[in-house]
Amino acid sequence: MHNNSGGTNQTKKNDLREVRMPRLSTRAISAVATFAMLLVVGLSFAATPAKAFKLGMAVGGNTCCEWMKSQGDVARALAEKMGWDYIELSNNNDPAIAVKNAQIFVQEGVDAVIQFNGQSGANAAIVQILGAAKIPIVTYDIAEPGMYFVGIDNLAAGIAGGESLGKIMKEKWDCNPDLVVSAEGSGAGLVNEWRTGGARTGIKNICPDIPAEKWVSFESNGSAAVALAPGRDLLAAHPDAVKIAVVGINDGGELGLINAAEQLGRADEVIAWGQDGAFITGDNVNPHLAGSVFYFLEGYAVYAIRDVILPISQGNPPPMKDGAGDPASRVEPCPVTAEQAKSVPDMPERVKQLLAAPFPTTEYDLFCPNKM
Amino acid sequence: MSLNGTMEGVAAAGRPRLDWGRWSAPIVVAGAWLALIAATSIYRHDFLSHQTLLAVTFTMSVVGVLAIGQGLVAISGGFLDLSQPSNLILSSLVVIRLSEAGMPLPVLFVAGILTGMAWGLVNAAIIVFGKLNPVIVTLSTNFIGIAALYLIFQLAQVPNNSDIYYFGRASFLGLPAIWWPMLALILIVGVFMQRTRFGRRATAGGGNRFAAQVRGISLRKTRFAVFTIAGGFVGFTSILFVSAAGPIEARSADLLLLNVIAAVIVGGIALSGGRGHFWMLILSVGLLSTVPTSLVFFGLDSDSQAIFQGLILVVAVALDGYRSKKGTP
Repeated sequence: MHNNSGGTNQTKKNDLREVRMPRLSTRAISAVATFAMLLVVGLSFAATPAKAFKLGMAVGGNTCCEWMKSQGDVARALAEKMGWDYIELSNNNDPAIAVKNAQIFVQEGVDAVIQFNGQSGANAAIVQILGAAKIPIVTYDIAEPGMYFVGIDNLAAGIAGGESLGKIMKEKWDCNPDLVVSAEGSGAGLVNEWRTGGARTGIKNICPDIPAEKWVSFESNGSAAVALAPGRDLLAAHPDAVKIAVVGINDGGELGLINAAEQLGRADEVIAWGQDGAFITGDNVNPHLAGSVFYFLEGYAVYAIRDVILPISQGNPPPMKDGAGDPASRVEPCPVTAEQAKSVPDMPERVKQLLAAPFPTTEYDLFCPNKM
Repeated sequence: MSLNGTMEGVAAAGRPRLDWGRWSAPIVVAGAWLALIAATSIYRHDFLSHQTLLAVTFTMSVVGVLAIGQGLVAISGGFLDLSQPSNLILSSLVVIRLSEAGMPLPVLFVAGILTGMAWGLVNAAIIVFGKLNPVIVTLSTNFIGIAALYLIFQLAQVPNNSDIYYFGRASFLGLPAIWWPMLALILIVGVFMQRTRFGRRATAGGGNRFAAQVRGISLRKTRFAVFTIAGGFVGFTSILFVSAAGPIEARSADLLLLNVIAAVIVGGIALSGGRGHFWMLILSVGLLSTVPTSLVFFGLDSDSQAIFQGLILVVAVALDGYRSKKGTP
């Protein structure tokens, strides 16, 4: 028993020692851990880089036009050059998707958004969503209060194209055409009115006495394939018209009417002057397309980043300019004849050269042979 | 019964009588077409011109061949092939790429048809082996097709000054060269469907599935063949389409579908299957292709035209329902 009790005392001592030792260790470890944590937290604060600027881009997503995709490609490349994060979504030419994309941009925590939205009816909702999150928006070509406007002066572009065509009409027909056809794209709203209305104004500036009954228009939807049948119908309804001048919302819509005239055997004296330059470059240019007005749409991101996004990223946002008349950044229109257009590279090559040039060189600087 | 009465009955039975049920549809459609032409001509004397004829026949060409494919699907009980726009653009893209490579026109025809048939084969396989609703399947494949096409190309057109470019602008006997294949195909398919075993089986399968099965007709094989052949007609159309349409993009054919369906219904081919004559498509496609031209002569704008075309489709669907109840073609 004694031995046992002695053994018990020894065991108690040992137990006490065992109990004390962990207490001491815990204190020490706690102190070390606290110090280490403070050190790690301090170091991590010091080591974490500043959050990268994040640019959101909503491309138009209309399958009609190659430049819509290229607008995203150029914005992405420039954002990478600037060291920014970049997120791209497609509006699918659908107003509901455009609004949804605005919500996604908010969730993604972007610092600024660039968009091309052909469905401008959704723009007010987009301003509301992004405005509530204090995210500035740049919009291309279609003005909206609350969005920085970057784009072409569509009215000026229309007038420039109309005047160029008017000069040809004066030279060839002494300002006496049988018909002046406007290939409308009413879905584009004001842009259509500015471009086609501007073109008519431009023609009138050169040829002021063309009678009202010679001005006709048809809905082309801005697409050559869609414009074909209504173009044929319009020409059939004017069977005596031979000298036919064509203006329109874009090259594609006008090309529909030219193709219709070829099919009806009446293209001999059809002269068109397009807008957007989509079908005036390359080796497959229709000879009745006398010229077009380049906007170099695919390169708009240079203007948007130079004049709006870069200052915002530097904490120096520019004053809001949301009107086409007084834009945040104005894109210069570049009217060219078909002959001059031969010296302009096609779109992929233009994008390649633009991205190789030092920022903020524009495509207008690089390629416009006929600077205004 | 008096002798006189008996003799009158015999005389009446011997007299040839107009089978109104059989001829009512073509008479109504042809009458509507003539009335439209007459009304427009009275309003505008220059409507009856070669230019108008060209405008209408060009429009007929593409819609007409597509309507044959759609009619085959409808008469066999497949209801509708809603993937025609995707198939047309895919086949057109193949044709354009081959024309850019300098391939001759016959090769383009074969390539277009085979591409269209391949698309039809995919539809057929999903519908037959998956035992799925053709409308849902073709609606889905159309969506998938449009999205995929958008990924692989933006704009494409046949080269200027190529054979196919000139084919789209050539004429024969005063009418577009692309119109004649449409006419020939409608007539050939019209005879084929009435005079061949396959044609009768396809029609029978659409009319009464149970009776057709009792007669030993394999509905699966027939449906498989019908969707594949219908795809081939879309592929054939791609030649006519790209030769005339200029630059195309993924959604260039979307607006055609409504006119094609309307042409099938106005032409008396029952969407429920089993009834219809393909040659009626000449009348229905002609009528529907004349409407927009006439409206332009009347000075109506594009929005008004869309209203008229929508109304025609509503009337056509109502007619289809009426015919289904009455059991008349």
